[in-house]
Amino acid sequence: MLIQLHNVSKIYSEGLESEVRALDDVSLEIDNGEFVAIVGQSGSGKSTMMNVLGCLDIPTHGNYVLSGTDVAELTDRELSKIRNRDIGFIFQQYNLIQNLNVAENVELPLIYQGIGTSRRREMAIEALTRVGLGDRIKHKPTQMSGGQQQRVAIARAIAAKPPIIMADEPTGALDSHTGHEVLKFLQQLNREGSTIILITHDNSIAATARRVVRLADGKITEDHPQEVDWL
Amino acid sequence: MNLRQAIKMAWKSIVGNKGRSILTMLGIIIGIASVMTIVTVINGMNKVSMQYYEAMGNNRVNVSASVWNGRDIFDELYSYCNGLGSDLVLGVTPNSQFSASVVYGSKSSTAMEKNQESFWNNYSGGDVDTSIALPPTLYLGSDQYAVCNNFQLERGRDLSYLDVKDYHQVCVLGARAAKNFFNYADPIGQEIMVNGLPFTVIGLYKEKDATSAWSMDNMIVFPYTMSRYLAPGTQITEFVVKASSSDATVEATSRLIGYLGGVIREGEGYSSVYSDNQWQQSSNEYATMMSLVLGGIAAISLLVGGIGIMNIMLVTVTERTREIGIRRAIGAPRRSIVVQFLIEAAMLCGIGGIIGILFGAGGSLVAGKLLLKMIIYPAAGITMGAFLLSVALGIIFGIYPAAKASRLQPVEALRAD
Repeated sequence: MLIQLHNVSKIYSEGLESEVRALDDVSLEIDNGEFVAIVGQSGSGKSTMMNVLGCLDIPTHGNYVLSGTDVAELTDRELSKIRNRDIGFIFQQYNLIQNLNVAENVELPLIYQGIGTSRRREMAIEALTRVGLGDRIKHKPTQMSGGQQQRVAIARAIAAKPPIIMADEPTGALDSHTGHEVLKFLQQLNREGSTIILITHDNSIAATARRVVRLADGKITEDHPQEVDWL
Repeated sequence: MNLRQAIKMAWKSIVGNKGRSILTMLGIIIGIASVMTIVTVINGMNKVSMQYYEAMGNNRVNVSASVWNGRDIFDELYSYCNGLGSDLVLGVTPNSQFSASVVYGSKSSTAMEKNQESFWNNYSGGDVDTSIALPPTLYLGSDQYAVCNNFQLERGRDLSYLDVKDYHQVCVLGARAAKNFFNYADPIGQEIMVNGLPFTVIGLYKEKDATSAWSMDNMIVFPYTMSRYLAPGTQITEFVVKASSSDATVEATSRLIGYLGGVIREGEGYSSVYSDNQWQQSSNEYATMMSLVLGGIAAISLLVGGIGIMNIMLVTVTERTREIGIRRAIGAPRRSIVVQFLIEAAMLCGIGGIIGILFGAGGSLVAGKLLLKMIIYPAAGITMGAFLLSVALGIIFGIYPAAKASRLQPVEALRAD
């Protein structure tokens, strides 16, 4: 099993009156090669879920076992390494670094892997070509449209060929057409073997995934496979 | 992430924020430039005084000795010193000045005194013209006058033992005095009139102090035994003993103190012995102290500059919280965030340091020209030190902001605008 959450809770201000249970005793297993949509209203805990799954945040209670390792036991260095090599993030706001050009943004995870300059550039161009931006490597993110920026972010997420892709509302800032393209690309990545975790509040977007996990008030209310709208 | 990447990244961020980078560097630039200028100028001042001492000669022991009954003690001093051996003492001479009128043809020291007077009446600061003929200083000396006062014979011959012993009416001229009286004519063999007595010029000393208006070369030395004619009634009380080395100076000083204490008994007279080396040493110590005090004040400005760096770096961290979050999410460990910000701070300060060094070198040149009338450059050691200091400042004042950056939680950092 690739991802296992055992009775995971994320509680803010625990014990106080203002206590917030962003995740409340959640257990979940995700296997290699799955395409899971985590769906919920805002405040349902889906973003917290993604942060925990992405090793960006640490659960208050319970265990998160990733590829057989309990992440609670890992050091900052090891967690960084997992984020670097095993997980590719795609964010709603793209999260590109504005003063770096497209190629440099895509190379960023490769830099932290310690890959040499020329090999890095090669891999970045390969990833950018896959998202159809192979000819824009010198552009600055600010010179591009939202859709293009999100494609750069996708290229950055896939450049290091991580087994897991986590996408947090990847279409949230895009028009429906470019959003459609992004989802189609995620499906394609999944068909090629990547595990995709898609966080969304939108059921129609969740319909592109093969499995739906619905969250409400920090608890899982629904978890089932579904027929997929192949785009 | 390797160091080269980190340096590239830091460079990008510095160049990407030119205005802010320059403002940040300003404190360091001013600090380094002032430290460099101050230290260099003080070193230059010290060098000037060392040059002065060097021209006058090292390892001189000044002896003042006077006997109330007017007995001449130089004979005794002369034989005592020359008995000490040349590994200790190289020579001894009276070093008394006297005033007299010196005349050669149409040139006279009286006219030169007028020059001096009118010069002072018209003096309003600034450089002194070395072409003004000022009156020479007249000395009474022994045959060892030259070695004691660091003069070298250029032409002719020096005072001899017999000149002294037999009251020869001869004299030796310093280069400036020769120029003032003889211009470009050959003074050797000519007679000058001193207080109406003819003296033959037998020799000429080499120029050793060409740039000063009151040059050490503007002198004439006579056999001290002529004092009975030239300066009747004055007792010779000032002597110079030339020791062979700085160690010998110490030794000779203590021996002379002992010797004079024996020759001049309590109540009969007085004597004092001190060496120029002591002056040099205290002038050196003074310069070091000046460097420390003024350098310290300038160092405070550097400290302020460093705090400025810290301030801006903290602002930078806040401004770039999101970038830090992105980098952390993508897999940057804490350490590489620390390294990134540290390198950025060190680089900012290093660049500021280099600019400061350039300004400091310029400042030293200008200050040297204005204050010391000489060209001074910062020493290589000072330059290197200033550069390393600025980089070190960057690292020291970068640590806190860098640590702060690295402690940001990725989730929270990503949430920042």
